[in-house]
This record gives sequence, structure tokens and C-alpha cells, in this order.
Amino acid sequence: MDVNRNRSRRGTFAAVAAALALTLAACSSGGGQSSPTGSASAGGGGEPQKITFLTHWGPEQVSQLEDAAKKFSQEEPGITVTVQAVPFANLLSTLRTQGGSPNGPTMASIYDAWLPELVRDGVAAPAPKDVADDVQGAWAQNVVSASSAEDQVYGFPNEIDLYALNYNTRLLKEAGLDGPPTTFEELRSYAQKLTDEAAGRHGFGVITNWASGAVHPFLSLAASNGGHLLDDQGKAALTDDRVVAVAELYKQMLDDGSIDPEASAANANTTGPYLDNFAGGRTAMIIMANWWQGSLKETMGDAYADVATAPIPVGPDGDRSSSISYSWLTMVNGNADEKAQEASWKFLSWLNGPDSGENGSSAMGDILVGMGILPSRTSDIDAHKDALSDPFLKTYVDGLPDATPFPTVVGGDAASQAVQKHVESLIFGREDPQQAMEAAASEVDAALGK
Amino acid sequence: MTTTLDAPGRGTRPARGGGAPTSKQAGTKKYRLAAVGFLSPALLLICAFVVVPMVLTFWISLHRWSMFTPLTDMEFVGTENYRSVLSSASHLAALTNTVVYVGLSAAVTIPLAFLLALLLYFPGLHGRGLVRVLLFSTYVVPTVAIVIIWSNLYAPGHGPIDNVLALAGISSPGWLSNPDTALLSLVVFNVWQMLGYYVVLLVAGLTQIPEEIYEAARLDGAGPVRQTVSITVPLLRNTLVFVLLMTVINSIQVFDPVYLLTQGGPVDSTNVLSFDIQRTAFQFGLAGEASAMAFSLLVLLAAVAGILVGAGRRRS
Repeated sequence: MDVNRNRSRRGTFAAVAAALALTLAACSSGGGQSSPTGSASAGGGGEPQKITFLTHWGPEQVSQLEDAAKKFSQEEPGITVTVQAVPFANLLSTLRTQGGSPNGPTMASIYDAWLPELVRDGVAAPAPKDVADDVQGAWAQNVVSASSAEDQVYGFPNEIDLYALNYNTRLLKEAGLDGPPTTFEELRSYAQKLTDEAAGRHGFGVITNWASGAVHPFLSLAASNGGHLLDDQGKAALTDDRVVAVAELYKQMLDDGSIDPEASAANANTTGPYLDNFAGGRTAMIIMANWWQGSLKETMGDAYADVATAPIPVGPDGDRSSSISYSWLTMVNGNADEKAQEASWKFLSWLNGPDSGENGSSAMGDILVGMGILPSRTSDIDAHKDALSDPFLKTYVDGLPDATPFPTVVGGDAASQAVQKHVESLIFGREDPQQAMEAAASEVDAALGK
Repeated sequence: MTTTLDAPGRGTRPARGGGAPTSKQAGTKKYRLAAVGFLSPALLLICAFVVVPMVLTFWISLHRWSMFTPLTDMEFVGTENYRSVLSSASHLAALTNTVVYVGLSAAVTIPLAFLLALLLYFPGLHGRGLVRVLLFSTYVVPTVAIVIIWSNLYAPGHGPIDNVLALAGISSPGWLSNPDTALLSLVVFNVWQMLGYYVVLLVAGLTQIPEEIYEAARLDGAGPVRQTVSITVPLLRNTLVFVLLMTVINSIQVFDPVYLLTQGGPVDSTNVLSFDIQRTAFQFGLAGEASAMAFSLLVLLAAVAGILVGAGRRRS
């Protein structure tokens, strides 16, 4: 071999090795925990802090949050807060790709089911003692538990959501029905009476193609029958008779023709035919969350006056109506440097404190109520008593004390998807109730083990 | 005419016994060095942005990792992710759905594109330029915009398609909300969106066939069908193989309509490989399993492409 060829090969190898090293370095730097550089950090001493708040809110709420951040910066001139907004569907993926980095968002609004994994991986920073004490004292205990892992508080609870029966009063009246159904038996018979195939109308609506849509109504009915997703050992409890009874209720309503599976689809915006059908009076009753009030008003116009809400019907083995609830919290990135974390907790304490909003509400409480969402801080609920006594929302507010929190466990999201898939199998007649629940239980256990 | 060039790998061997290099040998070395010099930047970029990510994906597929933590925190699990993926009912459904989607897309798109291309290549057709533009426009409009249109077209009960069916007394099958029709509905969407692109490719291929061959065939008494079967199809073979390859590759990678319209449901009936990979990685945080799926998909794509290209060459 001649020298030139050797040099050429060595040069090529060196360049490839350098590119490889650079690429690997670039890949791994995203997750490094020691680098204090980036927008979140600002060095030591009294240097200004630039912190970022990641949210899935829409432009109007982002604007409100930015106004609040500006007001905070006037009180704390050394801290600047930037709001980063992404669609809900991209929130978790944004966190996965950016949250592990010290340069990622310093604060993020998250669904409580994601918390265990974020804690396990060190992305969620534990709240300092003063913040934890504040949260423990100013929020209801079941809400605090949803923002905690192993008795440690990891953020400020803000939004809380639960489910209720939504029904069309005009259709019930036309069918000669007084008031909403309160038991499983009544739900089935009401759905039958409200169904008019010739008019293209069905009594009860289910939601497919969206895990949150069908799982929470399904599990809310299960909770109202004394059932649970998981047992005390953290294993799937879906084969319990109290849960199977809900699958059987679905099957009975399908056999009655009270449910139209084809009218059930949701899409990526969590709206779709299931919303159109309820809004258009083609579905008489559906179980949904408080936050869809805005969508209903927008879609239905004057016909929204026909919408009313009621507690989830109680099953034969249940002693009270209980809706599944879930909440959101704002956490701080555990990979951000210490000073950025301090600045973030300071901002969040102010944002969620009783002095940052109007008339005793927190600024966060004002933003949430503006969206038709239930705030969770006790003083915010008091401050917004009038808004929360709205007939649509009142059922949800009244249901809070008896709500069953969705379990916050690693793999909870995959478990939801597994239940959803088999509830859909049941809806489309591919599995019977027992088969569907057994298969779902098996997949839930597998998902939780990962 | 036979002209021989001294190409790399084809040059004369150095003389045994190590004599001084001849001027021809020196020229070959310079040629090779120049080739390496010119190719190096491109090769480095390919290594950095294609080869290294592939290797990295394979490496991640052998680990348990949530993506929240640094690469250094990955836990080595060997082939466990591959075993888990192969035993997952959802992933097997995604694989089956993808195969069905690809097969149906190719089976419908290619004959239809071929017929349309023949029609649009016919010189007597007025307004064929406009038709070509209209056909191609579905390909250039972003999928997100097309999805909005199709979600309304497919709206069960009150969408335009169902309204037309209702006039004929046919009830709606549910389209996207029925596990029996959801995947088929996505295939129709795909065919509608991609057809124009393949028609343009085939029309370009048709222009490469010399007119003299058709004239000779006509003189021999061959009719339009005979000309199509004996001249057009054989001489368009390379373009058809390319179109088939593109259809398969594009269809295997389908993601946008699934993500936007059906989220893989109902009952996993529209869960396809790319959606399953995305959901596993970004929603469930199982980057190791998702990498195992991605690497398997890469191998599958390479195998399919190799088979198709090989088949095309053998026939040539």
C-alpha cells in the first residue's frame, strides 16, 4: 500500500470517528444533568433568571398567563417568564424530548398520570418544604395526593376534571321522562325510550378512538358500582364482578340498539362525531368531562339551553355516585439548575397564591375558570363560587368529594389504552363482556410491569 | 463503439515485484484520491445523519429507556424488547394492518394510475394539462388540510358521502368509526391523495417510449390493447417498478391520517407500524421497544425494496 492511500484512509476514519463522536455527544447532551447552561440558567449570584413555562393551553389562556408573568416580573424584576405552548397531543412528546435536558422548559403543566414516571426519571423536582406545606394546607387532600409521589409533593395542583352524565332535556321531555336516570337500570331503560332508529337517534353515546373518552366513562360507571381499575396490590381489578357488570350494561344497551357504535368516533382534537351527534340531538345522553362545556356551547348555539348534567348513575353494587377524577399540576424541571428551580417555585407560589388574581382568587384560578375548568385550590373554589354554581358545572363541583382519583402509576397511560381497546372490542361485538375484561386485565398488568 | 475508462477497481494491477509505478498506475491513484476527496463530505454527512442514527436506534433497541434520562442511564436488556414487540397483540395488529394497507394501496393505485396515465398521454384528449394539474394538486396540498376535508366527507350519518348513499337507500357503514371499514377508508384517502403523483411519473415514463415502435406495430396490424400489452407495459417496466417501490415505501410509512383521523382505532383496526412506534416511544415512554419496532421496520423496508429492485433487474 502506498503512503497516500494510508493517509487518505486514516483521514477518512478520523473524520468518520469525529462525526460519530459529535453525533453521540449531541445525542447525549440532551440528557446531561450537570450542564447549567441555557435559557433556564443564568449563572450565580443575583443574575437575572429566565425561566420557561410549558403548557397546552390555547392562545387566549396563554395571553392571560403572559400577562400574569409580566405582573410577577414587576414584583420580581430579576425573573423573566416565557410561555411555551404546544397542542395537548404534543405535550408529553415535547416533555419527553426536552424535559430531560437542563435547557428544556423549567416549568410544565402536566397530567397527574405522567407524574410517577417523571419522578422516577428525575425530571420532576420535589417541592421545597415551604411550597409543600402551602400545597398541603390550601388544597383538598385527594387533590394533594394526585400531585404527590411517595408522600412528597411535586407541584402545584391546578385543574381538576371529572365526569358526569350529560343529557338533552328536550329529548327526555319528548320521551316523557322526568329527570335524569340515577341507577344502571334506569340508564338502560331511559336509553331504550330515547332511541328512535327512524329519526337516527340513540339513547346513549360511547366514545371510541380516544382512550380518555371511553375509559373514564367506563371506569366512572365502574366506580359508581364499587369497582376499581386496580386492586390494593396494584394489579388490574377488571375481572371483578362490579366492573364486569358495567361491560354487561354496555352489551345490554348495544343489544337494545340504544348505542350506535358508528356514531362514537373521536379524532385527534378530542372532538369528532361523538360530539357532533350529542350536539345535534342524535345522541340523548353521554358521560363526559366538565371541560367540554365550551365546545358544547360553541357547537350547539341556542340549543345549548337543552343540556343538563347529572351524577353518574349508581350500579346495583354501588352505594353512591362516583366519577373518576384526574388533575393537572405544574411541576419544575429537576434537571434545571438550582437557581432556575428556585425562581420557578417562587413564580408558581405567586401564580397559585391567593393574592395574584382578582377578589381573593389566584391568577391561576382566574385563568382556569375563564376556560370553564374547575380550579382545585380551596380559596379559588370559594372565590369563584358564582361561576362554579353554573348549572352545568355545579354537578361536577358537587361530585368532587366523592370522586375516585385515576391511579397515578408508571404505565398508567398504556393501561388506559389497553382498557380502551377492549371496551371498543366489546362495543363492536368482537368480545363478550367477560372476555373483554379478562383480556384488558392481562394487558393492563403487562403495561404496568414495564 | 467500445471506449474503456480507467475506473476505480477496474485499473490494471501494479506489476509484481514492486517495480516503479507506470504513468497509467499513477493516474489511477490520482483518480482514486480525487474520488475519495470529492465523496468524503457526502459520505461523512451520510454517516452522521443516516448510519449513526441507524446504529444508535439498534443500540437503543437493546436497552430499556424512557427518553427522559441521558443515554448513559439506559439499562441493557438484550433482545427482550424484540421479544416483547413480537408478543404484543397491538404490534402484530399494526404489522397486519400495515401489510393490508400497503397491499390494497398498491393494488388499487398502480392499475388506476396506469389507466389514467394512458388516458392523459392520449394526444387527442382536450384539457389533459388541466386534468394533470388537478390530479397532482392532491399530492401537493398538505395532508393536514386534506384530512379536514376527508373527516367531513366521512362524517357518519350527515357527511356528503352518507347523504349520497342515503339517496340510494344505503345506510352508513360508519367509515372511520367501524373497525370493518376504517382501514379501507384510509386506503381510499391514500389512493386519492397519491394517485396524481404516480400518474405524473407514469406519463413521464410513457414519453420515453419511441413513437416509431408503435408505428411499426400498427403497420403489423396490432390494435390498442395489443400495443399496450406488448409494447407499453414492457417498455414502461422500470417506471412501473419505481412506482410500485414508491407506493410500498410511502404506504408502509403512513402516519398523518392515522394520527389525525383515527388514533389507531377502533379496536386497533387502523393501528399501523409508524403510529405504533410513535405511541410506544412518545406516549408510553418505551423508547427501547419503539426502537426495536423502528429497526424491524427498517429491515422490512430494506428487504421489500431489495426484492422489488432485484425482481425488476432480473426481468430487465
